[in-house]
Amino acid sequence: MNAFLESLHNEIEMYASYGAEEQFETIFFGGGTPSLLEPATLEEILVHLRETFSIEPDAEITVETNPGTVDYKKLAGYRRAGVNRLSFGVQSFYDDDLKFLTRIHSANEARQAIHTAKDVGFTNINLDLISALPNQTVERWRRNLDEAIVLEPQHISAYNLIVEKGTPLARMVSARQVSPLPVETEAEMYEWTMQYLHDEGYEHYEVSNYAKPGFRSRHNSNYWNHSNYLGFGPSAHSFWLNRRWWNTRSVESYCHKIAAGQLPLAGEERLTGDQLVDEAVMLGLRSNGVDLALLKSKHQIDLLSSVRPTIENLLHENLVVLDKQVLRLTSKGFLLCDAISESLLSRVAGA
Amino acid sequence: MDHIRNFCIIAHIDHGKSTIADRLLERTGTITEREMKTNQVLDDMELEQERGITIKLHAIQMKYEAKDRKTYTLNLIDTPGHVDFSYEVSRSLAACEGAILVVDASQGVEAQTISNLYLAIDAGLEIVPVINKIDLPSAMVDQVKHQIMDLIGCKEEEIILASAKMKMGVDEILEAVVHRIPPPKGDPSAPLKALIFDSIFDGYRGSVVYIRVVDGTVREREKVKFFATNNIFDAEEVGILEMQRVRTKELSAGDVGYLIPGAKDVHDTKVGDTITNAVNPADGPLPGYKEAKPMVFAGLYPVNADNFSELRDSLEKLRMNDASLIFEPESSVALGFGFRAGFLGLLHMEIIQERLEREYKQELITTVPNVEYRVVKTNTEVVLVDNPAFMPPLGEIEHVEEPFIKAQIITPSEYIGNIMKLCTERRGVYKNTTYLDPTRADLRYELPLSEIIFDFYDKLKSTSRGYASLDYEFMENRESDLVKLDILLNGESVDALSTIVHRDKSYEWGKKLCAKLRKLIPRQMFEVVIQAAIGSKVIARDQISAMRKNVIAKCYGGDISRKRKLLEKQKEGKRRMKQVGRVEIPQEAFLAVLAMGDE
Repeated sequence: MNAFLESLHNEIEMYASYGAEEQFETIFFGGGTPSLLEPATLEEILVHLRETFSIEPDAEITVETNPGTVDYKKLAGYRRAGVNRLSFGVQSFYDDDLKFLTRIHSANEARQAIHTAKDVGFTNINLDLISALPNQTVERWRRNLDEAIVLEPQHISAYNLIVEKGTPLARMVSARQVSPLPVETEAEMYEWTMQYLHDEGYEHYEVSNYAKPGFRSRHNSNYWNHSNYLGFGPSAHSFWLNRRWWNTRSVESYCHKIAAGQLPLAGEERLTGDQLVDEAVMLGLRSNGVDLALLKSKHQIDLLSSVRPTIENLLHENLVVLDKQVLRLTSKGFLLCDAISESLLSRVAGA
Repeated sequence: MDHIRNFCIIAHIDHGKSTIADRLLERTGTITEREMKTNQVLDDMELEQERGITIKLHAIQMKYEAKDRKTYTLNLIDTPGHVDFSYEVSRSLAACEGAILVVDASQGVEAQTISNLYLAIDAGLEIVPVINKIDLPSAMVDQVKHQIMDLIGCKEEEIILASAKMKMGVDEILEAVVHRIPPPKGDPSAPLKALIFDSIFDGYRGSVVYIRVVDGTVREREKVKFFATNNIFDAEEVGILEMQRVRTKELSAGDVGYLIPGAKDVHDTKVGDTITNAVNPADGPLPGYKEAKPMVFAGLYPVNADNFSELRDSLEKLRMNDASLIFEPESSVALGFGFRAGFLGLLHMEIIQERLEREYKQELITTVPNVEYRVVKTNTEVVLVDNPAFMPPLGEIEHVEEPFIKAQIITPSEYIGNIMKLCTERRGVYKNTTYLDPTRADLRYELPLSEIIFDFYDKLKSTSRGYASLDYEFMENRESDLVKLDILLNGESVDALSTIVHRDKSYEWGKKLCAKLRKLIPRQMFEVVIQAAIGSKVIARDQISAMRKNVIAKCYGGDISRKRKLLEKQKEGKRRMKQVGRVEIPQEAFLAVLAMGDE
């Protein structure tokens, strides 16, 4: 066993006490390229997790999969190990886009990998796609979605490109080697995505996530519900009650700290009541809506009375709907999700 | 009394008044070089040092042993150098028998120098001309000499050449003060007449007045009467002003010093008032007292509505120290509860604003400053309007009058054309031009005050490459064709954005203001229509289209913290905005009018 895996197993041990407090319902292998793991290795981790924590028998177990790293044998192995959901980082069905994104796979390899996944028996498959790539036309984006639909995935994550600070893409943008699409085009793509996937029977349950009924990602939904989660490995984030912490990015110092018997933390925060409200509203709006009754009982914030004029405006502009005490974004609202969180929260006294 | 000299220094900003004062203090041993910090002694407020101008008056006493072996008491009375404070200048001058006129050898005579000089000449002061900074490579000593000779009719040899920086000419100045400036006159046994040329507020003692005793003697524990307010106080403490207050228990005719009357604040002890003995009063006050009259008005609002009473406390504290600041509560639909404050001028306003922000840590939204309009209504009722939002409806107005000023602009002659163009744009009425010398002109205009309180001074400077200088004084109210221009956002009027403008300029003004607001107001979640209107008539329109997309695509476990922090920041920004109807307006928008000149 290599040093990294050994550290990972040791880190799991360090959190053993959390197992008594919570029944876990999902496991997610993500970040980096976990599909490089051999099925046996992955199985050892799963077994270790099941031994250490209380995990539901029908837990959702996902592996983030790079199409260039898997074959029939590996996927079949994952399936046997207990993995029941695959998330493929397809990104685009155009090879030049993939090259631009420095992906190691081709469009054909992606199609092939998905067929293989189905062949070995996976019935819960997600495809990640990226819209608003520089120079991408609305037409090309539509064809990407068409291609995805043909593969009949249960779940599609369609992300608008984010130019993150410090990335090669950000450098290319600031050097004017590439120019980001106009907001208008991004908006058109997003609108079209929402409409098209709705017509194809997908539910839009988060800003960038669409699922056939019954196939929403339980794991990601937990992030948005403020549920407890534990993360293992470099850069992994954890959240427990009102505390959030995250591991060091560097594999080397991660291994080093664990070898020294320390938690490999890079930072942590304890959320104040106001911060929890901020997150609850922000995450709720992005996904299933803000449960106003729950906000009131859990955080003593009566959004409906404290920011009634704002909510009325939002209703009037058809940006939100209020459905049995749940404030939810409309399609029009999703386009302005962040602005809506800001305007709701900036008027809440104290929050 | 023969050995007392009371004098002041008249100089344009940066011409070296403070440095010369420092040299005099140093040379007379009033202060040692070591005590002399890096900055000049007479400017002790942080703000003053930064601006390089003296905002409030002070006085200081020096002992000087002259070449005639006699020791003289020299009282240097400081004067503010800005047009907003010309009344205070006139009171300081009235306390002196002489003035040192300081002119920068590289700059020459400037407008404020001339107007203060005329005040001094009118007050009968002996003028001691000094050309400073003669060590500068750009010094034009001969040219400046001729300007001064033309101006005050002195002889060339009467002009002292100095460089305060290089410590040149200091003795000559002191000797001239002693020998050219006459000693004070006055009768120490006559009934008391003492001129208040300044007053400050002391947290422990209340008001401290700086006085020049003209006649009579004032002693501690005597009852003293203030003519303007008719207040009678005890002279609790009397003394002279050195680096600190030095108690002497009495002051006599010719003396300059301080008196602590046990008055709560400076409003009981107004600058320009005369103090007399309550038991044996003088027959009347000294001439020249005027109530300080605010000329410029603006709304001051707390950024955060919760800080209203804190702002009121801060303003009240400032007012204890500044008799010319007035304010009263007002409310605005757009800005909530705040104050309408009156100032002597724009600089005075900026000083108050900065002191509130720096010393009192207040976060402020200041509305666009305006003058006070005299509105004669059709029913002959007269109302004074110091807030455009309260202009009576068009139909009730017979006519509107606005304050006009007399402006004096000194400029190198090559910029006359530019300056005339600027004055014409600002509705100026040309009076005449005279030449100080073949290259420098003195232009006289009559201008509406409202046209110069925005950016006139900056424009004047930029159109003359920094060389022109301005001075002005209030003249009279004049009838003008003025209208109130309202700004509507999605049909709702924003009271704090209303302005009063000349009808001929209203269309262009409205158009520019709408365009400026379009740039200053961020996109909202809906379309915002900006309109400028006179009464019910819309004269300009612009719009801000709705925000198209504002959502970040990913927010998983590792993104939430960062995303929340971003949200907290945005929220804070939004909270600082004011809301009219549904439209959120950033603070900068309330000063859009001021920024219009940048187009």
